[in-house]
Amino acid sequence: MKRLFISQENLKILIRDLKKSCDEFIAPKGEHLEDIIFGDAKQDNRELLNYKGNSIISPREFLLPRTEIIFEIKSAKENRMIPREDKKKRVFYGVRSCDITALVLMRKFFLEGFADILYRQKLDNSIFISLACNERCSNLAFCNQIDSGPIAKAGFDLQLLPLDSGFLVEAGTNKGKQIISRNKKLFLRATALQEKEPKAKLKDFPGEAKIDYKKLAKIMQADKIKTSVWEDIGTRCVVCSGCITLCPTCSCFSIADRLRNDKGVRMRYCDGCPYAGFTRMAGGATPFPEHKDHIRRFFEHKLNVDVQRYKRPSCVGCARCIRTCPGNISIYKFIQEALK
Amino acid sequence: MKNEYLPRQAVIKGIVSETPDTKTFTLRLKGKVMRYKPGQFLMLSLAGFGEAPFTYASMFRPDGIFQVSIRQVGTLTAALHNLKVNDIVGVRGPYGNSFPLNKFKNKSILFIAGGCGIAPLRPLIQHVSKNRKSFAKVEIIYGCRTPNDLAYRSEFKAWSNNSDTEVRLTVDAPDEKWAGACGVVCTLFPKIKLKSKNTVAFLCGPAVMIKAAIADLLKLGFKQGNIYASLERYMKCGIGKCGHCYIGGKYACLDGPNFSYAEMKKLGIEA
Repeated sequence: MKRLFISQENLKILIRDLKKSCDEFIAPKGEHLEDIIFGDAKQDNRELLNYKGNSIISPREFLLPRTEIIFEIKSAKENRMIPREDKKKRVFYGVRSCDITALVLMRKFFLEGFADILYRQKLDNSIFISLACNERCSNLAFCNQIDSGPIAKAGFDLQLLPLDSGFLVEAGTNKGKQIISRNKKLFLRATALQEKEPKAKLKDFPGEAKIDYKKLAKIMQADKIKTSVWEDIGTRCVVCSGCITLCPTCSCFSIADRLRNDKGVRMRYCDGCPYAGFTRMAGGATPFPEHKDHIRRFFEHKLNVDVQRYKRPSCVGCARCIRTCPGNISIYKFIQEALK
Repeated sequence: MKNEYLPRQAVIKGIVSETPDTKTFTLRLKGKVMRYKPGQFLMLSLAGFGEAPFTYASMFRPDGIFQVSIRQVGTLTAALHNLKVNDIVGVRGPYGNSFPLNKFKNKSILFIAGGCGIAPLRPLIQHVSKNRKSFAKVEIIYGCRTPNDLAYRSEFKAWSNNSDTEVRLTVDAPDEKWAGACGVVCTLFPKIKLKSKNTVAFLCGPAVMIKAAIADLLKLGFKQGNIYASLERYMKCGIGKCGHCYIGGKYACLDGPNFSYAEMKKLGIEA
């Protein structure tokens, strides 16, 4: 499909129109000077059309909140529950390519097998407008090496590619095409020069060799990573849970009940492999007693298991975990060392 | 679309104290019958106290009545132990894989259980007893800490009354009345009469027991593919989403909890 062009002014009109038809307009907002945080901008109109770098936390938390009610307990004695429904219509604007790639993986994970209705209902009512990068967000990010950026290949309804003036627009789904056809007047056919502009800009993007993640998965499957590597990582990890909180593809959760006077809720909340109690059973026994094995699982899951399951790693190179780790653990360094 | 997290109601029809810390609950599901196979599990919950995985402790019955044996170890199980007949619990399932019984027609079957590990094997033992002609010889080895910890005591006699079926019991700490064997289950292995080539072993129990028993069975000449273990993992959802039961790149709730030793080795899983 031919790409279209939208000017900044017209994009503002489009956003105004989209806001009318949604309940929440999740967009990047500039908080505390340059820190980018996603939030609802339907009322306050503080969304940024374009921004530098990436958000501190990925928009994952709007689809998989840190705590979420599964159902209400109307009467515990009678075991009577009423499921919680989330029918809010959401538009996600300005999601970076890495986070959109993460969304593709999360969508597969939550919808395959026994589909997760809580995730599904939010997905079904959402529109995703991604914003491609034309410069590296930090010197730690490696999306270009791990097939998740700087321009997304799938997962968006509409993708915007920033130009010097305005944006190139690409529809990825029928939902996206419908938005364009409803607002035809706002779009122009992109000129040949505009078509070439994003690629020309990407020349500045460092072009390191792609990570051979299939080879990496095989190395990990054959258990060829030295124990000392895991021990080092285990010693550095202080279980701050920064990585699992920021990672756009971390999805593990726990379930707990809250009850008062026979009424309450069953809820789920984010949980993760670095915690010692993550695999501990009621009697106290745990299959992974050592800390190095807890954190090892994070790496095995993202770089080995998901390559077998989804044909690509569930690390999207956003480098949020590297930036936040107080123990200086780097998944990028791990990959490079393993492939040496 | 179905909400997999929403439990159905089940009524407690009977409660039997098996041992000082284990009770067997007989449950009847309200509404449509839940079809399950030996080795599968269900998520049992009590609103306000949480939810946990338990294996079915009885064979599937068309009237939808099933049993679950529960050892009191934590908050939820303590609350379950306080329940009375006609109380209601939440149930969802069945989940997980089952033991591939059809593969083993005409073979001898060896059951090895430790402690409450007898519960997941019970539907399998019931199935084998019921279809006794489909299998060759059967031996059941069951070990516990003390004679009081032996569950399903009344059924041992019925099981051993079947032709070509032997039940061997052992305890770690015998009391004055105990006349049987002492020691861990592996100490009974020299007595096994079954020929390893034509026998399939099913194991369930604490991780230490499974590890030791597998090692000993291999020494006796059992093939890796003929040793099956039902593994215990922490689970929160039962449907492959919460991540707790992750096991060598698989989820125990979807691809397990029953694995052959050959699979365990391939996946790098330890009991």
